[in-house]
Amino acid sequence: MSISLRMAWRNLWRHRRRTWLTTSAMVFSNLLLIFLISLQFGSYDMMIDNTLQTFSGYIQLQRQGYNENPKLRDSIPGISALAEQLRERLPAARVAARASAFALASSEQRTLAVQVTGVQPGREAGVSTFPGLIKKGRFLQADTAPEIVLGSVLARNLKVGVGDEITLLGTGRDGSFAAGVVTAVGIFESGSGEIDRSMAEVPLAYFQQTFSMDDHGHAIVLSAPSLDQSQVLLPALREALASRQELVVLDWRALNPGLEQAIQADLSSAWFMYGVLVVLVAFSVLNTQLMSVLERTREFGMIMALGIKPRRLASLVMLETALMALLGFALGIALGWLVAAYFHVEGFSYPGMEELGARFNLPGEMYPSLTPVSLLLGPAVVFLFCLLAAVYPALRLFRLQPIEAMRAA
Amino acid sequence: MRLLLLILTSLTLGTADAREPDDPPPDARELVRKAMDHWRGVSSYSEMTMTIHRPGWERTMSMRSWSKGDDLTLVRVTEPRKDAGNGTLLDGDNMWTYSPRINRIVKIPSAMMAQSWMGSDFSNRDIAKSTDIIDEYDHQLTRREQHGDRVHYTISSIPHENAPVVWGEEVLIVRDDYVLMRHEFRDQDGEMVKVMKTLETDIMGGRPVAKIMRMSAVDTPEEWTELRVIAVDFDRDLPDRLFTLSNLRNPRQ
Repeated sequence: MSISLRMAWRNLWRHRRRTWLTTSAMVFSNLLLIFLISLQFGSYDMMIDNTLQTFSGYIQLQRQGYNENPKLRDSIPGISALAEQLRERLPAARVAARASAFALASSEQRTLAVQVTGVQPGREAGVSTFPGLIKKGRFLQADTAPEIVLGSVLARNLKVGVGDEITLLGTGRDGSFAAGVVTAVGIFESGSGEIDRSMAEVPLAYFQQTFSMDDHGHAIVLSAPSLDQSQVLLPALREALASRQELVVLDWRALNPGLEQAIQADLSSAWFMYGVLVVLVAFSVLNTQLMSVLERTREFGMIMALGIKPRRLASLVMLETALMALLGFALGIALGWLVAAYFHVEGFSYPGMEELGARFNLPGEMYPSLTPVSLLLGPAVVFLFCLLAAVYPALRLFRLQPIEAMRAA
Repeated sequence: MRLLLLILTSLTLGTADAREPDDPPPDARELVRKAMDHWRGVSSYSEMTMTIHRPGWERTMSMRSWSKGDDLTLVRVTEPRKDAGNGTLLDGDNMWTYSPRINRIVKIPSAMMAQSWMGSDFSNRDIAKSTDIIDEYDHQLTRREQHGDRVHYTISSIPHENAPVVWGEEVLIVRDDYVLMRHEFRDQDGEMVKVMKTLETDIMGGRPVAKIMRMSAVDTPEEWTELRVIAVDFDRDLPDRLFTLSNLRNPRQ
């Protein structure tokens, strides 16, 4: 151990209590940063998962251009067979085929425009939470049955209940008149007004028959237990579809452009708060180190009179700070990891969250994400700012005059 | 009923008001009114085809239409087989559609009037709005052009402040025998949104008629809908019961 290092270490413990207090400020802020950042990343993961699991799925396969400008004619032929093929090739994925069109839905009393989606009744539950969100009645069962499930607001606006008939009017894929009478078998409530107001689902085979689609559909939806697991599917999926140039594979960013924007907006406001926290800790270090330099004015003056260069003294002060910051860094990460890991396993929830989640078919707990970034990012920045804070006290030493310093009180 | 109006304004008496090129320019509102008046109070029966063209595919429907007075119109699809029997009934601004496949009549709500009619480039509003243009708009004659021995009048029609219309301006070109040659729909900034052009005129049922008309949006010129009049007959004695919901459902004619 070099002499400087040994001196720095000993100097640090000349004021045991003060050092511990400053260190604990660092530890506390590190702990807080780790917990908040990992919880935040965890909540983004949850937000992404929940949004994607509601309807869009993690990955969709569509005809080129359909996502930007959905047209009935931009469809995929043989969609059920293709979905079956993908199911075999990607056993880890849940796969369902869909078709979709706008139609006039009219009950005895009202007529409204709705987006009607044809889904595979047996497969839809794997890629969407709608089947689990049925509040009244049941989800679709038979493939060709003239049945419909619709959003709660839509049902209210149409003034229909379970068992009532709804007439669908639209245009078929070949431009012909599309018309059908369906029975409302279920009403779902997703909690999103937009969805509950405009969405309705019918069995895919019935949809194809009503809208003259033959065996066509518009999207194959793929889902996995989590976002990371869905990303793994992408290369295999692209490879499986290499020969189908007219199809595109869309990831969650393409399917939900608003979601990423919402996350970024939330992140930037959080960064501000974290910044304030880090700056506060840095000021407390500045205060401590300035005090420790000022109280040693006589001592430093004497050492300098003995021929020690100010640069050496400055690096001593920096070294003291670095040691203290390192201590705070190590303890902060250790404690932060413990707390984050505990909630990562046990889940974090606040009162009422579980009830809220249950209503919207979502998990009632948040799980902090434990990644190197979420663990190290906060403490690393705190470490850096603490070193920066020591620069000013260290620089003061260059202005120190040995004689005057020794005479100082 | 604008679509029908467009067809019917074109079905005017060629002999009645043939103008000499030297006549003083007519009043714009009179010109529009005259064009309308020629079919007002007159009943008609016509057969036509409607072709919807999209890049990559095209579809043609045949239909028959009956009209009586200002407000009553009935359109019934006759071909292709798959769509035969689908019908639309108009009574003023009210619109109903009937589909034999489900044997139901659905009233089209006013919120849906901007939607496409039968998948064409005509909106329900284009079909349903009738003679509003005369009274809800201010008309101004902006141009007079000689085309061979015919004169084309360009009329700029701007809706009144509180008129319940979606357009900022409509520009009509009316031939001196009151055949509508062109109809532009412009937004509030005067930008043309969609346009209907008469591609061919003919004498049918004893009158000059816009025989082929094509509607397309300015943004998508490769997508259009063309109406072709096959046959037309005027001043038939049409009973009122023709224009009822029960006749829409169970055609007696």
